[in-house]
Amino acid sequence: MIEYVQAILLIIAAVLTIISAVGLLSLGKNTRNKVYARIHIVGLFDIACIIAMIGLGQYLLAGVYFILAPFTAHAIANAYWKKEDRENNMDLMTVEEEVDENHPFIHPKEKMQALESEDSEKLKTDDRFSVTTIEINEDE
Amino acid sequence: MDILFIAKILLVIALIIMMLVTLRASAYKSTSMGLLGSSVIVNAFAVALLIIGELHNLQFYRDISLALIFFGFVGTVAFAVVLGGNDE
Repeated sequence: MIEYVQAILLIIAAVLTIISAVGLLSLGKNTRNKVYARIHIVGLFDIACIIAMIGLGQYLLAGVYFILAPFTAHAIANAYWKKEDRENNMDLMTVEEEVDENHPFIHPKEKMQALESEDSEKLKTDDRFSVTTIEINEDE
Repeated sequence: MDILFIAKILLVIALIIMMLVTLRASAYKSTSMGLLGSSVIVNAFAVALLIIGELHNLQFYRDISLALIFFGFVGTVAFAVVLGGNDE
């Protein structure tokens, strides 16, 4: 009975490994963020290795690998983001804000700055409602 | 034939395919991709070593596999830290 469970676990690991291999190759040539996608796919392979180790009865190795695998993936992704990705794709550093013009509460930053500037059209129209005071001479 | 034996052979074949695919993927222009590829190959080899060690009753295969996984991790992280550089 245990043999069957082990065999099933190993076959599951083999299938997951093949799936991750196909995934690694199937990414298109012009795919954006290819390295991150491949790191993601390698996560599947890591889980396949852990399942295989459990199937082989190596629980300590499976535990060690289960803890270490995310650190590896994160270290590689972090290194790629900090150097290669930023230096090769400078447009990643500019953030584009998409704000709906008709939104009742959220307004674009440029629009608000234009409203707050001294020579804005809004302030000129507000001059129509300037407050006048009546001067009173006490002598009269 | 024993089903467990067949499953082990299947897994070894899948791991060999994975290693070849990773070699192909490592040829991508980025250095990080080579780092990722080497990490995957080391881990795949460690698992294959576990299976082959059980099949042929080899000794110390478990220790070698543990060393491969652990030092593969250390090397990958060290290289990644050097590749990433200092924070600005």
